[in-house]
Amino acid sequence: MITGSDAMWLGFVALWGALTVALIALAVMLLRLREAEQRLRDKEAEQQGVLDRLQENEYRLRTIIESEPECVKLQAADGTVLEINPAGLRLVDAGRPEDIIGKKIYDVVAQEYKDIYRENMRRVFEGEAVVYEFKSITLKGRTCWMETHAVPLRDARGAVYALLGITRDITEHKWAEEQGRRHQTELARVARLSTMGEMATGLAHELNQPLSAIANFARGCIRRLRSGDVAPADLIEPLEEVCEQAERAGEIMRHVRDFVRKSEPRMTAVDINQVVRSVVKFTELEARQHETVVTLHLAPQQPRVWADSIMVEQVICNLVRNAMEAMAETRSLRREIMIRTVPQGEDAIEIEVIDTGPGIDGAVIDQVFDQFFTTKPEGVGMGLSISRSIVESHGGSIRAESRAGGATFRFTLQAIPLRLSSDERRYSLHS
Amino acid sequence: MSDATVFIVDDDQAVARSLRWLIETVRLKVETFASAQAFLDGYDASKPGCLVLDVRMPGMSGLELQERLAARRTHHVPIIFITGHGDVQMAVRAVQAGAFDFVEKPFNDQDLLDRIQRAIAFEGEQRGREAHRAQLRALFASLTPREREVLDLVVEGLSNKAIANALGLSAKTVEVHRAKVMEKLHARSLSDLVKLAMQHQAA
Repeated sequence: MITGSDAMWLGFVALWGALTVALIALAVMLLRLREAEQRLRDKEAEQQGVLDRLQENEYRLRTIIESEPECVKLQAADGTVLEINPAGLRLVDAGRPEDIIGKKIYDVVAQEYKDIYRENMRRVFEGEAVVYEFKSITLKGRTCWMETHAVPLRDARGAVYALLGITRDITEHKWAEEQGRRHQTELARVARLSTMGEMATGLAHELNQPLSAIANFARGCIRRLRSGDVAPADLIEPLEEVCEQAERAGEIMRHVRDFVRKSEPRMTAVDINQVVRSVVKFTELEARQHETVVTLHLAPQQPRVWADSIMVEQVICNLVRNAMEAMAETRSLRREIMIRTVPQGEDAIEIEVIDTGPGIDGAVIDQVFDQFFTTKPEGVGMGLSISRSIVESHGGSIRAESRAGGATFRFTLQAIPLRLSSDERRYSLHS
Repeated sequence: MSDATVFIVDDDQAVARSLRWLIETVRLKVETFASAQAFLDGYDASKPGCLVLDVRMPGMSGLELQERLAARRTHHVPIIFITGHGDVQMAVRAVQAGAFDFVEKPFNDQDLLDRIQRAIAFEGEQRGREAHRAQLRALFASLTPREREVLDLVVEGLSNKAIANALGLSAKTVEVHRAKVMEKLHARSLSDLVKLAMQHQAA
């Protein structure tokens, strides 16, 4: 039986129990809340750490970029300069960042290089890394040469949003290169002139031939006319010979002019066999003086080469002259030079100058193309060195070999594939 | 005019043709050769004339051709070298080696023609002398050994008697041999005989 006080007691117990449960629950919840708070704080701290590190990183990068001695810059696709470091400012002669930031990079690119520059930018924004050279006119109007290494910068989705460019001033390098090139050209000219010096006597002989023929024909005519012992018609043939020989003399002179002319390489489609023949004609007298027989083995069907014919002629001339001198010095019994042209597939032609001289000493064969290397008592040692630089500037190579019965020099020139013949024929007509 | 031929060796065909045109004005025959070898192969030594030669030629040079001709035991054709400017050294060598003359380019036409005429005249005389020597050789060859002995002693100035003693013959026999020698050599006098004997000795 449950009394009223019992009921009250029971109620009290139940209430207390409920309270206890509620308190426990509350305590647990509080505890959880604490934990959550702690976790939140941890997370915040962690985030702050990341942010700090990010900031640190950026700061470090910025310091590197700012102190970088070469120009570092960001450009938009339209050429707008987004960012540039102090070295970059100095490079373009900008006093303050705003002189160039927000402006178009084209402002400092020389007119004739703007298209090239634009093309290179286009390639970078298509995702390529490129290196290009251009001429720059700085904000103060100074002209200089630049070389830029440019790479695309991509956003999180992989789209290119800027060009990162590192640019160097290569003016001095360019200048040195230009000087070097000029020096080479000048060297080649000097070599041609000294060659001319060596050939002066030869040239006198060469000219003597047509001149004495002219004199003989003319005097023969005069003598017949004086004696009245000739029909006018009989004089036509000798007079034609006179004209022919005068033209021959003129041809020799034209050749000399071409030979000494100072000029940049003039590239045309060249028939190498024609060049060889012209060399033979030009060195005919020297060959006669050296009592040397020159024979030709020319490939009947060969592609043309893209070359400066005068320069190539000079190379062959040098090789032929070298061969003659080598054979003369050692009093070789058989003095023969064979010049061959040998196509190397469709891409190249090899020109060989083969002599019956003493050959080349194995100990020096690697030095024969060096400047100032010579075995001749009065040689300067320029001929082969210039020949090599000419051949190499034509994209070819030259080498020397010594055989049992003499020396062989061979060099290659790049051929113009035969299928381009229609264009190339037009060139050859003008050359 | 003489029937002499001017042989021209020049590898430069235009020069060779022009020389022919010039030399033909003095009515000389001309034959041209394009190389020393061609000349060696085609030259007929029995033809009188002279050789006009360019000193420098590819293959066999003018000087080499001269040497080759000198080595031949036949008649020596006189050579006129044509040299270019600055070839004096070569010309000297050529003359030392027996060249008749040389002209330097550019030459005067009359000068060249004169030298050619001189060379041809020289060659004619040379041929004459050679013919004379050949004749002498033939005449002397017709003598018997005994006649040769008698002749040698006559030329030494011995009298018939001394010759007879020396050879163990009678003076009469020596007289007969002597008359035979005079007849065979077409000598009219003693001095004639001595002269002929000396020429023969020199030849």
